[in-house]
Amino acid sequence: MIVPFGHVLLLAGLLFVLGMVCVVARRNLIMILLGVEIMLNAAAIALVGASLRWQAMEGQVLVLFILAVAAAEVSVGLALIVNAHRRSGRLDPNAFHRLG
Amino acid sequence: MDPILLAALTATLTPLAAFGAIVLATRRRPGLSAGLAIGAVALALAGALFLLARLWGLEMSVTYTTRWMASGSLEIVCGFLLDPLSVLMLTVVTAVCLLVQVYSLGYMAGDPGFARYYAFMSLFAWAMASLTVAPTLLQLYVFWELVGVSSYLLIGFWYAKFSASQAGKKAFVMTRLGDVAFFLGLLLVLTHLGHVEITRLNAGAAAGLSGHRLTVAALLIFGGIVGKSAQFPLLTWLPDAMEGPTPVSALLHSATMVAAGVYLLARLLPFFSLAPTALTVILAVGTLSMLLASTMALVSRDIKQVWAFSTISQLGFMLMGLAAGGYVAGVFHLTTHAGFKALLFLCSGVLIHHHGTNDIVDLSRRGARRQTLAVACLAVAAAALAGLPPLSGFFSKELLLAALAAHPNPVWLAAGLLGAFLTAYYAFRLIFLLLAPPAGGMEDAPAPHHDAPPGVRGAMAAPLVVLAGVTLLLGWAEKPLARFLAAGGGLTPTAAGHHAWLPFTAVGLAVAGVALAWWEFGRRQAPRVGFAERWPALGELFAQRWYLDHLYRLALGALVDHGAAHLCAQGDRRVIDPTVDGLAAGTVAGGRRLAVWHAGRFQARLLALFLVVAALAVTVFF
Amino acid sequence: MNLYAVAFYLLAAVILGATLMAVTRRHLVHAVLYLIVSFFGSALLFYLFGAPLLAALEVIIYAGAVMILFLFIVMMLRVGADQGPLFPPRQILPAIAMAAVYLAVASLLAVRDTGTGGVLQTALADPRAFGDYLFRNAWLAVEIVSLLLLVALVGALVLGGRTPAADTPEGPGAPREVRP
Repeated sequence: MIVPFGHVLLLAGLLFVLGMVCVVARRNLIMILLGVEIMLNAAAIALVGASLRWQAMEGQVLVLFILAVAAAEVSVGLALIVNAHRRSGRLDPNAFHRLG
Repeated sequence: MDPILLAALTATLTPLAAFGAIVLATRRRPGLSAGLAIGAVALALAGALFLLARLWGLEMSVTYTTRWMASGSLEIVCGFLLDPLSVLMLTVVTAVCLLVQVYSLGYMAGDPGFARYYAFMSLFAWAMASLTVAPTLLQLYVFWELVGVSSYLLIGFWYAKFSASQAGKKAFVMTRLGDVAFFLGLLLVLTHLGHVEITRLNAGAAAGLSGHRLTVAALLIFGGIVGKSAQFPLLTWLPDAMEGPTPVSALLHSATMVAAGVYLLARLLPFFSLAPTALTVILAVGTLSMLLASTMALVSRDIKQVWAFSTISQLGFMLMGLAAGGYVAGVFHLTTHAGFKALLFLCSGVLIHHHGTNDIVDLSRRGARRQTLAVACLAVAAAALAGLPPLSGFFSKELLLAALAAHPNPVWLAAGLLGAFLTAYYAFRLIFLLLAPPAGGMEDAPAPHHDAPPGVRGAMAAPLVVLAGVTLLLGWAEKPLARFLAAGGGLTPTAAGHHAWLPFTAVGLAVAGVALAWWEFGRRQAPRVGFAERWPALGELFAQRWYLDHLYRLALGALVDHGAAHLCAQGDRRVIDPTVDGLAAGTVAGGRRLAVWHAGRFQARLLALFLVVAALAVTVFF
Repeated sequence: MNLYAVAFYLLAAVILGATLMAVTRRHLVHAVLYLIVSFFGSALLFYLFGAPLLAALEVIIYAGAVMILFLFIVMMLRVGADQGPLFPPRQILPAIAMAAVYLAVASLLAVRDTGTGGVLQTALADPRAFGDYLFRNAWLAVEIVSLLLLVALVGALVLGGRTPAADTPEGPGAPREVRP
């Protein structure tokens, strides 16, 4: 007997919203990537909770894959950011709204 | 494969193959290019001769057609129409093309554009040969335009020379003027009859057109002939067309470009004869052109220009003969004229090439009379042009005059006889001017333009000899040719009453012309001033070509520059410019607005993405 | 309210609080450090929910590798504190509005759905059983993920290795490394 599942979902939802605000509103490329990590983590929490709620293993397996995808995303994303920073010396996403 | 079809394909397509090969592969190798072109046209001539031989025996026409395009009930075929007229013309075209190309080996030797020249020549040969065997007016029109294009290319061959490119443009635009009329006439026939097949048009299918429409269609098609054959209102392009190399002029004036117009009239003569009004117009235009051009030739000092005017007048003469019903006469004169006109130009080419000038008096002063072969051939050809027996021109001219004599209106015959007199006069004026030693004495050192190697001279001399032989002998082929043409033409020759006096009158007038020319230019104490030049006003009128060019320029200035162009400029400035500018400005402004959305503000995009997810959740779950 | 519930709410508060702090930091280093705290909380939450292997992985991969990578990049690029407003109004106002929409939609969904009412029972996913299940039922996905990681590796190498010619550390005369 821990807590109702709805509370876990509420936690995950709040966390997701926080990540979303971070992604949409912060003016820094690295912060945007961090926001994505937060959102992925929120999804992972919801999945683990659901795995417990229905006593099924699939949720946890999915979390494992989320971990892998997050690792891949971070490595490519950070490489892109480093590349962009080398080109322009800036990390402001609004500095990259032009092609070329 | 049917040997006739194979021969027809050979006769028409080999020059095209040569053109393609030269343009694509051998452009950088002049010798090989010339060899290809000459070989191709020789093959074409062989095919044409084979066709001539076969049809001579068959005495009928052969048609090969296949569907070209179909649209609804309208079906247009393409293929070959091989009847005596087309095969005769095909032979003439390929033969003259071959001779001119061989001659060009010498004339054009060393020209930087040698390979290009032969490529254009092959294109020209292909277009003209295909024109002659076209079974429908549409196919004929396509090649008609191709002939125009290739003659434009050849007249402006020395494009670096301003006057040459101008002359090419003038020829193209003026013939286009007629071609538009031709095309309109073609469309008129097509929309009202649903087909443009020449044989069906000639077989009386045109009767489906009402009288007025028929006349209009015939006159429109005749407009194309006027442009192509340089007849009265559109005649001024031809004298300028000699800016091209002389062999090109020879080709243009004898068998190809200008002959296409007369050929078309002969081709459609049964169709035209359904419209008597049109025939009268043709007679009038032909007569007018003949007399105008003859008078212009009286005073010209440029050797090529004299022959150019004579071409116009001879073509006018042919049109007169055809319109008067002398089908065989017109076609026969077309054939003989191709021979002696090519000879005239090629001989003049030899003189021009050697002495480097076009002016008759200059040529004479530089000792043109020493070029024995060229001058002798020139004299033969001029005699043929004048209609002296027993040369080919005499026979064909006599036939034409007989056709005119059969016409109820005697005016045309009188004009024809006057034309014959003038022709003899100006032809021999030129000959006597060349032959007679000038008053100032001959220049001691007739500095030759450049010394030609013997091979080159041979290449230039051989065609002269061949053409002179043809000019001498072709007249005797009158009767068999007439039978041949009448067999397949589907047109009964008009029963021309035999006028025993006519040949004598014609020859008499020709001799009178020659005698007058001798009196004024040939004899030892000759004044060397033509009768036309005695009256300065008249001479000036003739020399300025009846002020036709001035008139055109004035008309163009008033109509185009101050009328249409002004109107267009105003419309351009007031209506089109603001519209286009406004459109452009609007597009740019709109683009800037849209670009805000399109710019890579990916946080805004992510926001939109989340919004869409939320909206999806609402729509799916509620 | 038993001990498990207390632990859950405590962890939830830590996670949310740390994340909120991370999102609002000016200094990236601070943000990353707060986020590490948040991920530790998540790991404990996983442990609470009976997934010890995932908890360990969360600490090792998320809090360990990924966040340290972030820290490393932040230090390498020498990113200072953000200048200017932290949340420009043009961006934060739509974000907040949408967050409200999100929360409204999510809570409506949670209320309507009967499954959310169930109370979680404690259970334990043995790592051995987890691994057994993973490689028995999802081996293909594991392979695909391995491929994805390989691609990411190559991509990161390519992106990070290419140096724009303009700001190479050497002078213009220095020999440059030529890449095929």
